Amino acid sequence: MKLRIAVEGLGACAGCEIAILDLHEELVSLLQDLEIDYAPILIDRKSLKENVDVLLLSGSVRNEHDAEEAVRLSEKAKITIALGSCASFGGIPGLANLYATRELLERVYLTTESTDNKEKILPSEEVPPIEKIIKPLKDWVKITYDLPGCPPQPKLIKEMFQMLLNGKPVTLSKKTVCDECDLKREEKKITRILRWGEGELESGRCLLEQGYFCAGPATRAGCEAKCLAVLMPCRGCMGPPENVTDQGAKMVSAIASVAAIDEKSGVDPEQLATMFKDVVGSLYRFTLPSSIISRRVSEGKKR
Amino acid sequence: MKHRTITIDPVTRVEGRGKITIWLDGRGDVKDAHFSVFDLRMFEKFLEGRPVEEAPQIVTRICGICPVSHHLASAKACDMLFDVEPAETGSLIRELMHMGQYIHNHSLHFFFLAGPDFLVKGREQGLLALIREKPELAEKAIQLRKVGQEIVEKTGGRAIHPVTALPGGVTKKMSKKEVDEIAADLSSVEKDLRELVNACKEGLLDKKELMLELDSQRSYYSALLNNGDFDLYNGKIRIIKPDGQIAEEFNPNNYQTQIGEHVEPWTYLKFPFYKKAEWPDGAYRVGPLARLNVAERIPTPEANREFTEFKDEFGKPVHNTLLYNWARLIELYYALERAKEIVEHEKTAANDVRHSFKIKKGEGIGVIEAPRGTLIHHYVANDEGIIERANLIAATTQNNMHINQSVRDVAKRRIKSGRIDERVLNDIEVVVRAYDPCLSCSTHMSGQTNLEVEILNEHGEHLKALTN
Repeated sequence: MKLRIAVEGLGACAGCEIAILDLHEELVSLLQDLEIDYAPILIDRKSLKENVDVLLLSGSVRNEHDAEEAVRLSEKAKITIALGSCASFGGIPGLANLYATRELLERVYLTTESTDNKEKILPSEEVPPIEKIIKPLKDWVKITYDLPGCPPQPKLIKEMFQMLLNGKPVTLSKKTVCDECDLKREEKKITRILRWGEGELESGRCLLEQGYFCAGPATRAGCEAKCLAVLMPCRGCMGPPENVTDQGAKMVSAIASVAAIDEKSGVDPEQLATMFKDVVGSLYRFTLPSSIISRRVSEGKKR
Repeated sequence: MKHRTITIDPVTRVEGRGKITIWLDGRGDVKDAHFSVFDLRMFEKFLEGRPVEEAPQIVTRICGICPVSHHLASAKACDMLFDVEPAETGSLIRELMHMGQYIHNHSLHFFFLAGPDFLVKGREQGLLALIREKPELAEKAIQLRKVGQEIVEKTGGRAIHPVTALPGGVTKKMSKKEVDEIAADLSSVEKDLRELVNACKEGLLDKKELMLELDSQRSYYSALLNNGDFDLYNGKIRIIKPDGQIAEEFNPNNYQTQIGEHVEPWTYLKFPFYKKAEWPDGAYRVGPLARLNVAERIPTPEANREFTEFKDEFGKPVHNTLLYNWARLIELYYALERAKEIVEHEKTAANDVRHSFKIKKGEGIGVIEAPRGTLIHHYVANDEGIIERANLIAATTQNNMHINQSVRDVAKRRIKSGRIDERVLNDIEVVVRAYDPCLSCSTHMSGQTNLEVEILNEHGEHLKALTN
């Protein structure tokens, strides 16, 4: 019997759905074992009437329509998978949690350079109201498994389908991105944090040890360290490694371990911290909504 | 017959989430129609506070279908902001990445999303029907898109949400081996491309009457242009009037003086317009059809031959919305030919991929032709290079007014005196799909779009639902 699946993207970029299509000819073979019952981006079925075995739910709940859709669909699925990092952790759109809804809407609809809106209209008719903050999908519906990544690499999606077809639980790598990275580590200590692209990039050498912020030590493996292979430091899209809740906290300890603090010619930790711009946007780029402090809690000055 | 409302929710086989509402008057004729977009994610706001050199890594997440466009428009804005000329080889690699994206995007749109309307019987099953009914064609289409995605991966590090572009160029040089592999991949699909395009043209010509009759919008058109030549990566913006006369040609850095964005309360998507012609008359269209209407010549031979044929067949400018599909096929030729030119260029595998830059205060505007039309990224950064303001105008946004107009016109054609022609759903979706709307991009927001029609009475009570 074929595995019956539904695929739906909530507030998202469709990258997770394209990642499924990026299995290319392998997807055609997989379709012999899969029955796609619902996937608005691909087929015209307008609603999911019957139950399915697996729901692949990507994106985040940004408005009431997304919330209703998530609940309605997950009720019809035996297994619901949070596909991608928006679904698993909140993802990049979760950075909107740093601002109040009013600030977000005013910027977009009133004050951008090209907006011509003298009547100060904010969209409010015929459109679903906005949810104030982004939360991971597990806060909305029961999630059976997370398949993180922005997007999850097609290889991981293939493995997920194989596990599901074999009736096995969906498991993830327990390693970190550093374990998959080919760049050479020399146990060197850093005395400064460079901005991305500043100075000369030395190929073949650990980017963190060159002074560039790299989230590799605090990020789950599975992506094959593809960014590092083209000399772009990890930004943490796979989310925290096994048994870690707060990716940023894990990263701070990783930086501390390579920083030349308390050594003779070392740096003052305070000074190192000031070299680090945009703490939240770096340490929690993909995971702010699922971190310990998941949103701005006061009107105070933001970092 | 009372006032009624028809709702189509969700619109399928397009990217993004929204619905269509059609209001009927007391006689049962179409009074108005709205294409409301639900998505919003507000990148403009949360880019504030981020180091500007990180923007190319963040904005890719606006769209998983055309992340390369956002990545590169952003990198171009950073080049200008930090006052760094990108390295020559870096620029070639960026443009090659862009061509890879076009091969992927246009194959995806035609063969996987919109094409099934013209190519197969079980069109509501989309790609699945293509695989079942025309397996050989499907296999070739899948291979063609794969070649596109592999080019993006080789140049950008990852096929979806690439990472290599940064101010001054790209992070990594390409090896001779990688360049040769791309050249071989391109050659391997050349013949298939002709076969695929011919099958598509046949499919479209079978429905020529529908194509020419269903929807036509006499609009302004806008696109990048390089000395009159079609160009997807660099150039000036030219706006033409509905009669084809040039209305304006300007440096994209001056977009603010030429383009305004109108806001309506019933959609999260804004409505850009050409300021001199004012809202709503100044609303213009972008994307494949607009690019061909604006361009005088395509600088690669096969694409230019197809372009000439297209003009002979349909004239210039072309206003028929469904011909967006045909225009997209011509662009597929261009993307392949231009990619080939780049891989044959002696500098593509050179070492000069990146120029260094210094963090400083500045303002940068990056403009590129995304698959769906002109894309603008605009950042202002403080002394520390931290973004203080960001403004984005995505491609689909600029088609918003005319997508609405097309929906309204098709509804008027198919709904008369309260009689709803069953073709209305199909036809509306076919027209919307021709624009290849990307609602994630357009609202920098989120997405997926499907279509369902609900009929309500004047009290908003449910009367009837139409689905396909």
